[in-house]
Amino acid sequence: MRTPKFTVGIATIFLAGMMMMIPGHVRTEPASVPSVTLPIKTSPLVTFRIQFRAGAIDDPAGKEGLTRLTASMLTDGGTRQHPYQEIVELLYPMAASINATVDKEVTTFYGTTHIENLDRYFELFTEMLLEPRFDERDFERVRASQVNHVSKTLRGADDEEFGKQSLGVMMYAGHPYGTPNAGVVSALESITLDDVEQHYARVFTRENAVIGLAGGYPVGLPDRIAKAIVQLPTGAAARGPLGTPSAIQNVEVLAVEKDCLATAISIGFPIDATRASADYYALLIANSYLGEHRTFNGRLMMRMREVRGLNYGDYSYIEHFVQDGGSTFPLTNFARTQQYFSIWIRPVQHQHRHFALRLAVFELERLVRDGMTQEEFERTRTFLEHYSKLWAQDQNRRLGYLMDSRFYGTDDYIATLPAKLDQVTLDQVNAAIRRHLNARNLRIAVITRGADDFLQDLITNKPSPMTYEAEGIPADVVSEDGVVAVYKLNVNREASKIMDAEEMFK
Amino acid sequence: MGLTVLCREFLTTTRLAQPLGLVALILAGWSGGAMAKDLFPYSPVVRTLDNGLRVVLVPFDSPGIVAYYTIVRAGSRNEVEPGKSGFAHFFEHMMFRGTKRFSNVEYNALFRDLGSDVNAYTSDDVTVYHAIFGRDGLESVIDVESDRFMNLEYSESDFKQEAKAVLGEYNKNYSNPENKLYERVRETAFAAHTYRHTTMGFLDDIKDMPNQYTYSLEFFRRYYTPTNCVVLVVGDIDVDKTFALIGKYYDSWEVPAYEPAIPAEPAQSETRASHIDWENPTLPYVAVAFKVPAFSERTRDSAAIDILAELLYESTSPLYQELVINEQKVEELSVYVPSRRDPGLFLVYAQVKDPAHLDEVRDRIYRAAEDAASTPTDEKRLGAVKSNLRYSFAMSLDTARSVARHLTFFIGLTGEPSSINDMYRRYDEVSQADLQRAAASYLTRTRSTVVTLTGGSK
Repeated sequence: MRTPKFTVGIATIFLAGMMMMIPGHVRTEPASVPSVTLPIKTSPLVTFRIQFRAGAIDDPAGKEGLTRLTASMLTDGGTRQHPYQEIVELLYPMAASINATVDKEVTTFYGTTHIENLDRYFELFTEMLLEPRFDERDFERVRASQVNHVSKTLRGADDEEFGKQSLGVMMYAGHPYGTPNAGVVSALESITLDDVEQHYARVFTRENAVIGLAGGYPVGLPDRIAKAIVQLPTGAAARGPLGTPSAIQNVEVLAVEKDCLATAISIGFPIDATRASADYYALLIANSYLGEHRTFNGRLMMRMREVRGLNYGDYSYIEHFVQDGGSTFPLTNFARTQQYFSIWIRPVQHQHRHFALRLAVFELERLVRDGMTQEEFERTRTFLEHYSKLWAQDQNRRLGYLMDSRFYGTDDYIATLPAKLDQVTLDQVNAAIRRHLNARNLRIAVITRGADDFLQDLITNKPSPMTYEAEGIPADVVSEDGVVAVYKLNVNREASKIMDAEEMFK
Repeated sequence: MGLTVLCREFLTTTRLAQPLGLVALILAGWSGGAMAKDLFPYSPVVRTLDNGLRVVLVPFDSPGIVAYYTIVRAGSRNEVEPGKSGFAHFFEHMMFRGTKRFSNVEYNALFRDLGSDVNAYTSDDVTVYHAIFGRDGLESVIDVESDRFMNLEYSESDFKQEAKAVLGEYNKNYSNPENKLYERVRETAFAAHTYRHTTMGFLDDIKDMPNQYTYSLEFFRRYYTPTNCVVLVVGDIDVDKTFALIGKYYDSWEVPAYEPAIPAEPAQSETRASHIDWENPTLPYVAVAFKVPAFSERTRDSAAIDILAELLYESTSPLYQELVINEQKVEELSVYVPSRRDPGLFLVYAQVKDPAHLDEVRDRIYRAAEDAASTPTDEKRLGAVKSNLRYSFAMSLDTARSVARHLTFFIGLTGEPSSINDMYRRYDEVSQADLQRAAASYLTRTRSTVVTLTGGSK
């Protein structure tokens, strides 16, 4: 039996991760381009993550969606040497790709290759970043795709994402975070190829770049990349301060009318805490207790789905969260200097929408009012200390987390998380809950049929008794249902509104 | 399309990256043909308990981490009675509802305290339960997992509650028109076989699930049996000790085997068609589905069909280049050919920008298949597909979880982990003549079903 001997490789990963905490040792800066490196000598894979301090907040007014469109022109367009189809054909035999994620403040180009194909892959990667073709036909295709994404896919094919994006727009109205990363239809239609070329030169610059590299790459590769990246256009990001999100007065509701099978609900408010904040680890524990993503640990999940069968899942978050494909864990490199708290209620039957919304806020209020007990605190912290070891299981994710640590100016997040959690006390958790969370001033986006009726029900606090097909519902649940059914939400009528789905992101 | 994995909620991952040193050497030396080495670089140990439960063990250097999979070789294919579509998936949910020894709360608490990540998923042919956790938890996990497979017990009230969560899952998935399209494709393409319905099931059947408590007990008796399950453990394990532990906890599992009468699908002799009016705005779709044979790693048919999918409809294909890149009539052209135990579908679907082009796109999908039957494929392109298949596979073997997932796929289809290497040999053997023969035999209009979907005017 051939058993691979990987022990050295694993040790290398771990040491490399730990060494990230030592300035100047791994975080080298060849040729003036900052870099984050994670050498794993025995890995036959090489992962690139080239990140720019550029994102949707850099979209000019009236050109919302431009950063994402520009990034797509690099990943889904040709280069000076190769039309797009040739790029596809060159990458295909390697089973490799070059993709990008675009968020508010950072854009990250990434891909992984087998070491046997490293030179060819490296050439294509740098060519796509440095020598975009900016072909008119590519532009028409890429822009049409982005318009369709906003006008058809987002509005028409994924109510949960629609709800989240609606919350994002509503929560950050008037703030630089306040438009979808993909933009709005009218702005996208006004963008020209010239706009894209100018934006490329303005935001994807050498000064904005950070090189990320992981795997079994040869010694000289970081320098080769740096020498390529310094050929990018020059110029630092010129950004004003983000400003403070607008204050929330009681419960503000955006009810989106759509012919849909079930009601999607997202609740949120900005918080003054990120991974760089002293309260972050305390909030991480509190949030895991309330609504750890896609587990049955959180109270929301247990009380809403497991006990009452209201829907498929109910979770909460203390930072922007985009799930990594079919996994449980978030994509990396969506770092932001301002974060928000949110609750995601997966689609509920229309007749239970009011009850489900009440129950989620009821649970949030309970957490804010009562905090956590010592037992709940210790249990949740222990869970997170173990669970966090699953968050970066491959080199691509490990590198992504390291780059996020660089963004926030913190120690290696994954490597230090258990120790950081260990230092947190119950008092700190409960104080952080009171400081950052609340159940009074909320923004809520719902995608539903009969939005007008729902909003009226919310404003008037119309009772919403829960009904079950099953018999034998425990008495404590029935009793609590009675309380939740008349639980008052102080909806701000003036700040609430109804929109037709077709009017969103117009 | 239709790729939504139905699962109870949990999902799994492993802890750290797994370097793939051996895979590099294998790829470099992998020349294919009779002399080809095994592309899968690990050697599963296969043992069988006296009760017929097969155990597959794969030591893998994931320090401290173990992936534990239980593969039930039953899925929506086994939903043979009318009105029972979606039941295998529903039953997957019920498996988390506890036993006399471990309530659902205690089950969750055990995995929570291990800091582990557990989940399950259901497809046409299999239902898979999996967990990733620290090595020290191995015996506890074997104990709790064996207990629920032998002693599952839930109340009718719990059963009805869980049925609502399944309806919630349907509701979350079906705001996407592609799921509806896929549902209709299957409903139209199959007349008798249980592949006629998706794993999610028909909405009417899902709504009726709360009334099927008695049937659920029967479903458990039929399919959750030692001879119909395989336990797969990948990671930081000692083979002998792990096998001994599995024997200790599963030995008393005695349930007779059950053979379902899966209805055979009659031969199709003419094109079938259907249309969906979608109430919400969407780009229009056209889907063309061809009937293809059951998966086999013993002949080159399945391998040729997989390669045809890449050659004819993926991003490097001439059709993709024409429709998506040059003419820009199509937003996205996709192909989905899931390997199945019984004859299944080769599904090509296009998101078309203008409904006026639906018929033209349909015809060009046909024409690409017909050209493949009449004209030999360029050897260079065939080589590129084989290269892509090899590198895709090799690059994905980087965690205990991913190794387990690959093995699960083949164990689900054939029951044999060795099928994985056999299949990659077949890929390498596929010739131009094999491709022409497969295209001529299977990708024909008379074996096809066409479904279109257009959006509302809103």
